[in-house]
Amino acid sequence: MSEMIGELLGVGHQYDEGPEIFKGVSFCIEKGSFRFITGLSGSGKSSLLKILYLGLKPKWGSVRLFGEDTFQIKPTLLPFLRQKIGVVFQEFNLLDHLTIIDNVSLPLRVRGVDIKRSYKHAGELLEWVGLGDCLKSYPPSLSGGQKQRAAIARAIITRPQLLLADEPTGNVDDEMATKLLCLFEELNKTGTAVLITTHNQRILKKFPYPQLALREGTVLQLPVEKKAA
Amino acid sequence: MNKDQDLPLRNDIAARFVPKIIILMVYLGTLCSTFTFFMIHSTLLWEEKLATHLSIEIPFFSDSSSNDLQTQVTDLLQKTPGINKVEVVSKTEMKTLFNSLLGEGTSVDAFSLPAIVDVSLNKRDAFNVENLEMRLKNISPLIQLIDHRLWQSQVSNLLFTTTSLALFLTFLILCSTLVTTFFATRTSLLIHRKIVEVLSLIGATPSYIAKQFQRNTFKQGFFASSIGAFLAFLTFLGIYFLFEKAGHTFVVTTSFFFEVLAIFILAPFITSFFMMLSARRAVMKALCS
Repeated sequence: MSEMIGELLGVGHQYDEGPEIFKGVSFCIEKGSFRFITGLSGSGKSSLLKILYLGLKPKWGSVRLFGEDTFQIKPTLLPFLRQKIGVVFQEFNLLDHLTIIDNVSLPLRVRGVDIKRSYKHAGELLEWVGLGDCLKSYPPSLSGGQKQRAAIARAIITRPQLLLADEPTGNVDDEMATKLLCLFEELNKTGTAVLITTHNQRILKKFPYPQLALREGTVLQLPVEKKAA
Repeated sequence: MNKDQDLPLRNDIAARFVPKIIILMVYLGTLCSTFTFFMIHSTLLWEEKLATHLSIEIPFFSDSSSNDLQTQVTDLLQKTPGINKVEVVSKTEMKTLFNSLLGEGTSVDAFSLPAIVDVSLNKRDAFNVENLEMRLKNISPLIQLIDHRLWQSQVSNLLFTTTSLALFLTFLILCSTLVTTFFATRTSLLIHRKIVEVLSLIGATPSYIAKQFQRNTFKQGFFASSIGAFLAFLTFLGIYFLFEKAGHTFVVTTSFFFEVLAIFILAPFITSFFMMLSARRAVMKALCS
């Protein structure tokens, strides 16, 4: 039996007094697993991811990550739990006052890696995602696709144990989307569990991994689709 | 890139007014401390003088007996062990004293003033004042010995009150500086909430985020308090020259000068250090709660 790094049990959420987005959501994240979370817009994919990266506290249920109950954990230990997770935010969340290389090397710096080494790693990674000539550029001067790639580079630079990506291919063309998914696959082979939200059917066909479908407020485990030619 | 640039704090609108407040606070604080030390040194000098000085009043007689009495008294004093110096207050000094009290042009000769003898003792504890008073009364029962010890406790009270008040004022100034820093940091945290949130989500500890605010606050505080201390030093020099011009001494002792110098040098370090702690407390309180 593979090692479990995350577990959601009967998780439900609603914003303020609004309708329930989902309820009774339960699933496990195994070490080295690769999954997609699918669902229509507004089905709660991003909220579910937010709960997993500890950016949102669900109203019901329990969430265990890396053996810790996230409801019981001391606030001082939360950053160390977050350091095991890499996140690609839907809105990128790049810091506009920092250059791209500073943005990408930031997760290494907050973990205490010296600036020179963090720059070297960030430079190599940015080169790989095709942003080698934008190292000193600032986020506002980049296109949506470039920002997306920078956000992905920032999420994977620390080789996290769990990678959560919210629509990571939403702003890039098919060729780049395939390239980025291949990057996630490479990372997955090194033991990182990957959880990606998407509604891109071409990607789902091309990369036939298990899917968690959010439908009518609950989650369904869908069978693996056949790989597209 | 510098270590403290993850957050754009340098041109923070929330902290724009802080340096001006710090300049004013440090200016007031250092001047308040300077005057505290001035009061302490002046009062201690006064107290020391009171403890080692006696005054003797020789009554005025129209015939020459006043002069005889004065000679007998000074002879007795000079022969008494434990007395360091005997000095008869001159007519000129009396005139200066009276003119300051009754106005220029007052003739001292018009008054039947007693002669005053200022006696300086070697050590107060070893001197028998009662015995001296008895021997003076033997010369003339009208001779008065004035023991300034009676004033000593009042001077001590004055010293305690002024020092406590000045220290309390300095403490209040420091507290208001720290409270200002605390709330400016809280406002800054709110302004940069989005960036702080991103930093937290990518694993930055509250301590890492607090360090960014600390470094910025220390730099800002040190720069502003240096200006405040410098302005206070200029004011100190101004007061010194005004005192000198008026014929008084402001730098009452050498140690007072060095203590004041230490205040001006240390004020920026102490202020910025406490400001840094205040900024850290503000961030840690907000992020760890």
